[in-house]
Amino acid sequence: MVDDFRHVRFCAWNGMIFMAVFILFWGVMGHNIPPWAGDLPAKVVADWFRAEQNIIRTGMVISMTFTVCYCVWGLAIGKVMRHVTGPHSILLELQIWGAGLTVVPVLVSNSFWLAGAYRPEALPDETLQMLYDLAWLLIDLGYSVTSVQMIALGVGFLQDKREQPLMPKWVCWYSIWVGFMFTAECLMPFFKTGPFARQGILNYWIEFSIFFIYAPIITWYILKAIPRLEREVADAGARA
Amino acid sequence: MQAQGLKRAGLPGDPGLWVFILADMTAFALFFLLFTLGRMGDPALFEQSRLALDPAFGIANTLILLTSSWMMVQAVEAVRTGSRRRALLFLVLTIGIGLGFAVTKIVEYAGKIQAGITMLTNDFFMYYFAFTGIHFLHFVIGIGALLVTLAKARSAPMDDGMRRWTESVGCYWHMVDLLWIMLFPMLYLQRLS
Repeated sequence: MVDDFRHVRFCAWNGMIFMAVFILFWGVMGHNIPPWAGDLPAKVVADWFRAEQNIIRTGMVISMTFTVCYCVWGLAIGKVMRHVTGPHSILLELQIWGAGLTVVPVLVSNSFWLAGAYRPEALPDETLQMLYDLAWLLIDLGYSVTSVQMIALGVGFLQDKREQPLMPKWVCWYSIWVGFMFTAECLMPFFKTGPFARQGILNYWIEFSIFFIYAPIITWYILKAIPRLEREVADAGARA
Repeated sequence: MQAQGLKRAGLPGDPGLWVFILADMTAFALFFLLFTLGRMGDPALFEQSRLALDPAFGIANTLILLTSSWMMVQAVEAVRTGSRRRALLFLVLTIGIGLGFAVTKIVEYAGKIQAGITMLTNDFFMYYFAFTGIHFLHFVIGIGALLVTLAKARSAPMDDGMRRWTESVGCYWHMVDLLWIMLFPMLYLQRLS
């Protein structure tokens, strides 16, 4: 059966669609760039929910709608990756499952912010603060599923024996490193201020930045790999 | 002597690994900067907290990691020359000596926790536990990679692939060593000027 790449480019672009929507609707409209600091009084967060409930609702609804793009992106990566690892590699499955499961913490944490914005006038300040905290705890501590995707992707593409690999070695190692670096999120629940807090230099600015750089790099090389694979498949077909 | 005469690349190990090492070193450089800024903000607290650390643990860990790294150099050289027995011997020594780091670190952590000192005690100990903890995670991964290397060295052909793998693990292990050499004086020795 001939490998079909017809829709893979579109699926690969879903990574960028996810990023754009995430930054604009979750980040800007959801007041998550940067988030409210962990040491702020409950009233600050509660007043924000009440004053901007429709902006938050819109941001989270659109963010939730497009979260699935991350999974679609992971499947596009998998489509390319199988030409390196073979179709039966556990690394291939880990990459796809990691991308698929990344949707869960993003989706569920978005629903907590949405819940806060649903009837904020009827909820006490501490309850709204708890929803905000809960969302951040989940989105940060759900890192491990994404780490699985990143490490599997890096290790998998490192196996490429082509003279010019589909994914450069440095990108593979960068992927492994980003997946590894996410472990620093484990420190986040212990601090409300400082570099490890959810708004801190390490656990927010650095961790999110290396992820925001990561996704476009991977997408770029996946898009470059697709025409090469199309030629490889066509050449193999012509020889057969 | 299969590995003799193999073409040597400019960088030891997988060239891409150096991206990981560079990125990691950059992250630790940022850690050191944050610590320095924190120290500038409250020098008295940092000095008082530093005195609660026992430099003997730091010195012991430095010597352990340096010796282990030295054994790793011998192991890499053995793989390069295709000497399986020497490679196995030096890998066992690298791991065995390296595990001493885990022992001293666990004893040191346990002592601090028993004395009621945790990463929530103050900013100095936040950095101390966080940075040495992240470094310890690097160490654990390094031990895992060394164990894989040991398993490979028992039966895998001593070819170019094995050389590249062993060099890569060696580079990583030296990075663990180097990071500690920077953490040790920063946390244990740096006095109030």
